[in-house]
Amino acid sequence: MYRFFHLHFRTKIELGITALVLITALLLGLAAGRIAADALKLEHRKRGLALAEILATRAVDPMLARDLLRLKNIVDDLKNLEGDILYAFIQDADHRVMVHSFPGGFPVDLLQVKVAPEELVGTHLLSADGQLIDDFAVVMTAAGDHIGTVRLGISRATIQAVVSRLLVILAAIAFAILILAVLAGTWFARRITAQLALLKGHAEDIIRGNLDLQAGPVLARNCWEIVECSKTECPAYGDVRRRCWYLAGTMCVSCQNLDYPTKIDSCRNCRIHQLNRGDEIQDLAEAFDVMAISLDRHIREIREAEEALRHQQQLMQTILDATPDLISLLDRELIHRSPNRAFARSVGLSLDKVVGRNDFDLFAETTAKERSQRNQEVLASGRRAELEEHLEREEGERWLHTVIVPVYDTDQRISGVLWTARDVTELRKTQLQLIQAQKMESLGKLAGGVAHEINTPLGVILGYAQLLQDDVEPGSQAAEDLQTIEKQAKVCRKIVADLLGFSRQTKSSKAGICLNNTLLEAIALIRHSFGMDQVAIVVDLDDRTLQTYADVEKLKQVWINLLNNARDAMPNGGTIGVKTRLDTAREMVQVWFADSGEGISPENRKRIFDPFFTTKQVGKGTGLGLAVSFGIIEEHGGTIQVESPLPQNFTCQGFVNLAEGSSGTLFIIELPYDSKV
Amino acid sequence: MAYILVLDDVEDAAVMIKRILERKGHQVAVFTDEEVALAHVVAHPVDLAILDIKLKKMSGVEVLEEMRRSSANIKVIMLTGYPTLETAQESRRLGASEYCVKPIDRDELEEKVAAVLAG
Repeated sequence: MYRFFHLHFRTKIELGITALVLITALLLGLAAGRIAADALKLEHRKRGLALAEILATRAVDPMLARDLLRLKNIVDDLKNLEGDILYAFIQDADHRVMVHSFPGGFPVDLLQVKVAPEELVGTHLLSADGQLIDDFAVVMTAAGDHIGTVRLGISRATIQAVVSRLLVILAAIAFAILILAVLAGTWFARRITAQLALLKGHAEDIIRGNLDLQAGPVLARNCWEIVECSKTECPAYGDVRRRCWYLAGTMCVSCQNLDYPTKIDSCRNCRIHQLNRGDEIQDLAEAFDVMAISLDRHIREIREAEEALRHQQQLMQTILDATPDLISLLDRELIHRSPNRAFARSVGLSLDKVVGRNDFDLFAETTAKERSQRNQEVLASGRRAELEEHLEREEGERWLHTVIVPVYDTDQRISGVLWTARDVTELRKTQLQLIQAQKMESLGKLAGGVAHEINTPLGVILGYAQLLQDDVEPGSQAAEDLQTIEKQAKVCRKIVADLLGFSRQTKSSKAGICLNNTLLEAIALIRHSFGMDQVAIVVDLDDRTLQTYADVEKLKQVWINLLNNARDAMPNGGTIGVKTRLDTAREMVQVWFADSGEGISPENRKRIFDPFFTTKQVGKGTGLGLAVSFGIIEEHGGTIQVESPLPQNFTCQGFVNLAEGSSGTLFIIELPYDSKV
Repeated sequence: MAYILVLDDVEDAAVMIKRILERKGHQVAVFTDEEVALAHVVAHPVDLAILDIKLKKMSGVEVLEEMRRSSANIKVIMLTGYPTLETAQESRRLGASEYCVKPIDRDELEEKVAAVLAG
């Protein structure tokens, strides 16, 4: 049985048909042979009895007359009538043989076969010399008396020969039918299995990825040809591979706007279906074609969708990697599944090393615990969390603006959290600077207002102090006191002027100017008074025109502030070097102010541009000069920096070497070069 | 010697200027109200007006414009709290000869008054 199941389908059909026909033929042959044999035997018996009765009828008279000769003739005549009559004899009522046809004497054994006197007709089967003999006995009666018995022996050989011939013929017919059945079965099996083999081949092609195949036959007439349709927009129009009844959205009137597979019921009554339909295997092949084409289309759609998805993923990854924000997608177990490069960089690992780890693997325990707790809260509540995180790191403190949002799957269940963080350290610094600047602006306005109000009474005090000096004796105590009042009033005037300068909010009057000219004008103003203080000014200016777009007066104010600062840094005299250069590569003009003074300490250097910061003695400065200068340079899109001590590589033509104990200070200003001037 | 008008909303400041200039031999009239000062200019020939830019009702620049209408030849020195470019430009455009920065220095005032009157 196991082997049978592994046979080819075609072989199974052939074997099945052969066995079926063979069994049928055997059963039919046997039944027909038996029936025929029985019929022949019955006829044989009827004939035997009829001959015996004829013999009995003819033998009555001679029997009564005891005419033995006549009896002998009757018996011999009957014996010679048919070749299969082996013997005939007549017995009297006492079973004595009167006459017989045996030429060599009556066989004694035959006398043992007796017929009962009450049986008028009897039949016995005898066997003699290897052959079967039917012994027919008919009782002769006359006037109701038993006068004798006629016995007739007929051989069965003839009838057995007929039965044997009949069986041979039946066997021959059965064999012929069997051969025909096997041939027909083979043809039938081949026809079925050929189509199945085609389907199998196509199925294997599909497995190999080849979907461009056709299992169904090519139709003689397609649907649009049968119904003379011209609806080219119909999905069945021009499609020679798929049958219209398998297609959705066909526009045939009989389709009733139904979609596959509902429409197939209405299609079965359609003329096109009736003309083009085949057997079940053809239906299967055509359905197979539709399936292959649909599969091909679906696979193409899936591939396109996959391609689009891959493209979207690449795009998303590019965006995620391009953003400086730290982003990571965590699953419900709070394992990092999709971090971006910025996140991986922030923890000092490559992307693949971050994937699969949790916060405790990546951060310090305290940070990890806090983040894990917040993420758990978002997972549990489904509410977005937003906070600012403060981190102490080796490179300094950092501020992160962190947003955690729940991520939902298609069943609207929370499948994880999206953790994003933006480094807002610079923003925070800028905010602090802005707050500081706003405070300074408010302070400046307040100072300006106060200064403005003080100006008038200060003017009155100064004026009267000067006026009264005419009225007192020169050199007197009163004259000296008035001079002190005048001097201190002028100190106040300087402070008030600085405060007003700091608070001033005026629009710049910018124009294309030459930077060197503004420097020379500023230096010309103060060179004489600086000379009085033993401070020399040397210039090393770029020969080219250093064009920049600026407010001349404001720039001059900056230069004078810087020069005054340099002078104040050298109470015992010294040299100020002023140098300019054009940086063509960066399109910037540069100015250096170097002095040979005592320099600035690192602590003071950080605060030197802060408003009201001064290292000068009380009354000597308000701490607003550099703050104002810083604001003016920034307003012009430039930068101002300070270095102290003087850099080793700084050179300026004519600038003297530093005195012992001096470190010097260097201010570097850069302004945008304006090529349009 | 000249007849000078001083207009300042702070009387002490105006009187102080008056005291300085009177010592130079000028005749000085002090005003703290703009309308009175303008009326005075219409009624009397004034050689020089010293006007504070910040007044009670009007600005010094507006007073300067009004005075120019009634007395075209009047010379004017403006007093400003801070030497802004805009104020200086505006004053000069309207005909001010000079401006002084508060708090006023006696020598500077005397020099500028002398220079304007001489011009």
